[in-house]
Amino acid sequence: MPRPAHVLFFMVCAALLWGALLSCSLGFAQLPAPELPAAERNLAIVVNQSNPVNDLSMADLRRVFLGERGHWPNGRRITLVMLEPGWPERAAVLSGVYHMDETEFNNHFLHGLFTGEVFVSPKTLATPEGVRKFIFNVPGAIGYLRASDVDKTVKVIRIDERLPGDKGYKLHVPPRENR
Amino acid sequence: MGREKASGARKAMPGMRSRPAHSWGRFSRYSSALLLFFILCAATAVGLFAIRDLRRADLDSQNMYTGSVLSLHRIAALQYQTQETRRSTLYALSTADSNLHVKYADQSREADHLVSEGITAYLANARTPNEMDIGRRLQRDWSTYLNVRDEVLASILEGSTKEAVDLDLTQGVQSFDRVRQDLAEIERVYDQQASQQLSNVDATSRRTIIRVGAVLGITLILALASVWAIQRSRMSNAIQLARLQMEFLASVSHELRTPLAVISSAADNIADGLVKEKDDVKKYGAAIQSQSRQMTELVDQILLFSATKDRENHAAFGILDLSEILRSVVHQASELVSAAGFHIELEIAPGLPSVKGDASALARCLQNMIVNAVKYSGKSRWVGVKAFPGGSQLPGRREIQIAVTDKGIGIAKPELPHIFEPFYRSPAVVAEQIHGTGLGLSVAKNIAEAMAGHLSVASELGAGSVFTLHLPIAVDAESQVPVEIRAEGSTEK
Repeated sequence: MPRPAHVLFFMVCAALLWGALLSCSLGFAQLPAPELPAAERNLAIVVNQSNPVNDLSMADLRRVFLGERGHWPNGRRITLVMLEPGWPERAAVLSGVYHMDETEFNNHFLHGLFTGEVFVSPKTLATPEGVRKFIFNVPGAIGYLRASDVDKTVKVIRIDERLPGDKGYKLHVPPRENR
Repeated sequence: MGREKASGARKAMPGMRSRPAHSWGRFSRYSSALLLFFILCAATAVGLFAIRDLRRADLDSQNMYTGSVLSLHRIAALQYQTQETRRSTLYALSTADSNLHVKYADQSREADHLVSEGITAYLANARTPNEMDIGRRLQRDWSTYLNVRDEVLASILEGSTKEAVDLDLTQGVQSFDRVRQDLAEIERVYDQQASQQLSNVDATSRRTIIRVGAVLGITLILALASVWAIQRSRMSNAIQLARLQMEFLASVSHELRTPLAVISSAADNIADGLVKEKDDVKKYGAAIQSQSRQMTELVDQILLFSATKDRENHAAFGILDLSEILRSVVHQASELVSAAGFHIELEIAPGLPSVKGDASALARCLQNMIVNAVKYSGKSRWVGVKAFPGGSQLPGRREIQIAVTDKGIGIAKPELPHIFEPFYRSPAVVAEQIHGTGLGLSVAKNIAEAMAGHLSVASELGAGSVFTLHLPIAVDAESQVPVEIRAEGSTEK
């Protein structure tokens, strides 16, 4: 027959073990979700390697993307490259640069081209790889890519003197969904 | 026999030369061998020449293939890729879809990358200054075109189609034409090289054909010459044989005529009753008997020569006691020639081993040798017969040598190789009117060889000759009983 002292000791140990396990599980649940690498989260503004521009202010970038500037300082015509609707990168640019939604974006260019206030009609490509190749082929092209999609064929420019990954860089992209 | 005793006046037949015309036959045989050797050399030379030329032609073909044909293929590929570069660029003009623009731009760049690699490879393989110049010019022109192509592509991708077309028409077409001209020039250079190498191969082939034809012609001529020489040799041998046979017939006829004349004369005298006395009849009978024997002996000699030509008749061979045979033969010969003052001296080594052979043939052989020595012993009238064991030239073989020596007229050295030939009679013998059939020594030689032996001669002109019969000692000689001697024509006491 078990003695009462032994039973009590066993119950106390079990309670302590249970409490420890519970506290551990609660503690893990309260940890922040794992963050994406910076290259995945940052949206880079890219131009052709031959483009002399290395730095743009957010205001200048907005004017370029709105089509209000037609040429680069070297005289090259600006060609704006966009991803097709549905890409998170496009959504990030619409919100971060244009401050518009899709409808406002389309209306802006329809109206601007009709009135002549917009000099550039954006080219729409199906994939980030297409964007990269387009910018590689066109000296005056400007577009955007997730920083992890950037390679040596294109040049990343500073926005407000910051590169993707720098502290205070304003253009970020949500995680890529499966398309 | 080779140097038969002169039994009467006999002169060489007119128009017949005693010395056979061996020179041409021997020369023809040697010439034939030499010609065959030359033919073999010529055939070998043909093979070597042909192999060398074929290898050269093969090498030229390989050089032509690797140097020109493959290069032409590379240039053709280069031409295709340059066209592909331009074609992909122009395809981009046909659509407004930016994604297709990018795709065509990619294709164009892939093609131009291959072209650039091809030009680099061409420059690396260029051997002549001309090729280097063309290669560098192509590289420069291609780079110029690519710059224009990049601008055209950029304009297309920007959406400025008109600008792209204008740029291509004003600059692209011209720069691309220059590239095409450069490639065409390279192609011409390779064509020239291929033509040159092809002409080399052609020249090598023609040279091979000429060489092979020439040497085959020479070979054919040599073959014909060889056949002619062989035929000439055969004809010469046939003529020589016919002449010898004529001489032999003349000699035999002469040898037969003398005893026949004696017999006929004796018979006539007896028939006419001129011989009446008993002593005279006996005398004539003895003369007839003697001449008949002489004729019989001559006929036997001829028949024996025919028989000894067949050397395969070993069935009658037995173990022979050589001493007994020698004594018998010498005894018979002494009886025949002692009346004429000849002396035959016999010396037999004690314990002489037996030999294997035909007793009667061996007796005939020894008889021929002794009679030959008697015939040519000259004024010395001495003949020596000596039998003794001797060493053989063949290793492991023991033999008995029977030397028959005379101190007569001897034999000139040039005659020595011919004295064993059938029907041969030396000019000196003919000149001295010593009669014979020319078969004696030939028969003796045939008999010796039939018994696995041989006959040798040593002679000095004017000093005499030694004919030696070499016979191998029978292996089982000691265990055998000698057979009875049956020497043909012997007159044993």
